[in-house]
Amino acid sequence: MDRIKKMAVLGANGTMGSLSGGIFAQAGITCIFFARSPEKAQRGIENAVKQARSDVLRDCIIPKTYDALEEELPDCDWILEAVAESLPLKREYFSKVDRFQKKDSIVSTISSSLSIEDMAKECSDDFKSHFMGVHFFNPPGKLLANEIIFHPNNSKEVKSFVSDFCEKMLRRVNIVTYNTPGFAGNRIGFQLLNEATIYAEKYGVEKIDYLLGPYTGRTLPPLATVDLVGLDVHKEIVSNIYEHVNDERHDTFKIPRYVQKMIDKKMLGIKSGGVGGFYRFNDKNEKLAIEPLSLNYKETEHFVDELIEKIKLHLHDGDYKKAINLIKNEQSDKIKLVKHFILGYISYSYSRIGEVTPPEIGIHGIDRVMSYGFSWLPPSAWVDFLGGPRETMKLIEKSDLPVPEQLKNLPEGRHCRIPEVTKYFIAC
Amino acid sequence: MQSKVYILGGYQTDFARNWTREGKGIQAMIYEVMEGAFTAAEIEPKEIQAIHVGNFAGELYTMQAHLGAFSVNYDPVLRGIPTARHEAACASGSIAALMARTEIEAGIHELILVLGVELMKSVDSKTGGSFLGTAAWYEKECKGIDFPFPKLFDRLYDVYDELYGVNYEHLAQIATINYENAKRNPKAQTRNWYMSKRHACSTGDYNRTIGTRLRATDCSQVTDGAAAIFLASQGYMRSYAKKHGLSLEKIPYIQGWGHATAPIRFDDKAEEARKSEYVLPHTRKAITDAYKRAQIEGVEDISCIETHDCFTITEYAAIEHFGLTSPGEGWKAIENGTIEMDGSCPINPSGGLIGGGHPVGTTGTRQLFDAYRQVAGKAGDYQVPGARRVATLNVGGSATTNVVHIIGSNS
Repeated sequence: MDRIKKMAVLGANGTMGSLSGGIFAQAGITCIFFARSPEKAQRGIENAVKQARSDVLRDCIIPKTYDALEEELPDCDWILEAVAESLPLKREYFSKVDRFQKKDSIVSTISSSLSIEDMAKECSDDFKSHFMGVHFFNPPGKLLANEIIFHPNNSKEVKSFVSDFCEKMLRRVNIVTYNTPGFAGNRIGFQLLNEATIYAEKYGVEKIDYLLGPYTGRTLPPLATVDLVGLDVHKEIVSNIYEHVNDERHDTFKIPRYVQKMIDKKMLGIKSGGVGGFYRFNDKNEKLAIEPLSLNYKETEHFVDELIEKIKLHLHDGDYKKAINLIKNEQSDKIKLVKHFILGYISYSYSRIGEVTPPEIGIHGIDRVMSYGFSWLPPSAWVDFLGGPRETMKLIEKSDLPVPEQLKNLPEGRHCRIPEVTKYFIAC
Repeated sequence: MQSKVYILGGYQTDFARNWTREGKGIQAMIYEVMEGAFTAAEIEPKEIQAIHVGNFAGELYTMQAHLGAFSVNYDPVLRGIPTARHEAACASGSIAALMARTEIEAGIHELILVLGVELMKSVDSKTGGSFLGTAAWYEKECKGIDFPFPKLFDRLYDVYDELYGVNYEHLAQIATINYENAKRNPKAQTRNWYMSKRHACSTGDYNRTIGTRLRATDCSQVTDGAAAIFLASQGYMRSYAKKHGLSLEKIPYIQGWGHATAPIRFDDKAEEARKSEYVLPHTRKAITDAYKRAQIEGVEDISCIETHDCFTITEYAAIEHFGLTSPGEGWKAIENGTIEMDGSCPINPSGGLIGGGHPVGTTGTRQLFDAYRQVAGKAGDYQVPGARRVATLNVGGSATTNVVHIIGSNS
């Protein structure tokens, strides 16, 4: 583990660059934060300091501009790339890294959408053998998931070193994923999020967020999550999957026209401030929600459904069994919609085993990324709560969703290995 | 000779959780800790004969008292058994265990569930700080004062400084060790927080002085959490061991205990400190009583300690009161590494109250559960190799109620 004494972040002015670099600094590693100007690099340092909640972190991070790459990179044991999500731009930086880096230094990218092999295509063999995706989740100070996407040229030793280092020194929860669009977390998470945007066109924004709210095993309702992520970033992730993947839920990755219109009008979510996204606040600080057909904002409707409130009450009291039984057995239209999303999430997750994560770890890799990366109840915990694989398959069949082969082969009994998953049921 | 009282396992909730943010109440916490304990120990609810609940201030934090009664909601088979809630500030969890042990020793019951429960993040820090003031003499020591407890323990710091001199770096080292140990404990509140000795020694917005001397890193956490342990008679333990294929010699039991109460007002404690060999003579008494009951010479027979580090200065005091050094020389055990994980007597392998978290009424039960885990060899990444006998010190108020347990096995 002592091998990494000094590291560099390229693109340290960005949120993920600065916060990911900050995690290295917290492990006592000297960091060089590269940005286009010293001021931007310093801003990155302040982000890292705020994340660690410690002024002393400032002492082990050095701000530099890209003019110092040639001077600094030969001393760095790990180079973390976090520049903008553009293949030509990344290749330009990797070409410089390849030229200046010392032999055997690790080079990682935080890219969440570009192909690992494509990014390293024009680099040397030594570069390729030490290059991989190391994808933290935002904010890494709170979300511990780390998708590792190895390059085919990585040796067993490099793979094992990087995994151990991330786990032991950076305190990450590693999930090895394949080099597929969106890897594991974004592929599964954004399927549900985008399908929620599609349903919002018919049912309305507040109703969808109410029905699929935190009580269904997630910290935030789906459309509020898209506002947080940014509609532009959402589109980038979803469209990349839509273009490059053709699976059984392909249609749910298509961006609805009204969402595209919102993006065109720069209604990108929280980052757009007063302009808003699915929600915005008016001058009186009242929360407004968008009407998808007109793109006008109106006062938020406060839905109260007796059954859903009952489910929340059971969760509040810790009676998870009663809460789940209501979801499982009730047949109102609203609960049917809730079930469609929950069972869709289970179905889609299990169907991805072997495609986005290695088959030998079963659902555990996807469980880890959904809980430690998205703060969602992991899919296998849903299977456990619903009464096991057979019961879940029956429900999936009833909802006209694809029954995954990977679920058919599971023995009865509990499957989730993530501790204390009840914390993902938010009774608000 | 009194009959032995055994610990057959238990459970602790994840102390990093915020139950209010999860929209959950105290019933959910009780339900979850009971579910975890019954599952882990493979004990059926119908076997339980009594339940003792430790809780400090449910009626303040959640507007809910009478928590003993809530425990029977877990399963209808529990209806009809005796339950009680016990309060002795931060020592509530230990008091609940003392009561349960007494009932087993007296032959009243064979198997008792002891719970510690506290939900604290339901209010803002200033309000919560004021609630904590009720653990001291509120009217005379805390009324109208923001965050009264760090200020009371500042005074313990003052007493040490006056009598022996204190180097702050030693307190910073205590904080650093607790945070470091917490990183190995998957239930510890601060397991993913950044900490270093340099940070502990720093001052500023991220490490504010809370009272007059102690800083944020010297303080234990505001924590939501519960812990549970099963206490059993020898007779029940034998049938349990047979059923689960366990060796009788390896099952942890309570070898000794001490319980001593100091005057509640800190002024009176300070006066006593100046006249006694030990700064906290009643804390020392609880410890020596426990040694006597365990029929051991002293700390040299203890493998590790789970102590009450509500503040670093409290652990600083505990070092000498346990006898690891002479009075006034606790710093030596910090400097020579005695209290570190690989030292001769690690303190707070779990991370203690500073690193692990301090749900007030739960802490005593959590300490006993950790002592059980160490002796049973089930402490996972924070296991002290070969731990045979573990001491706990749980303190209520400004070192007012002092409870010590010594847990060991015959292996």
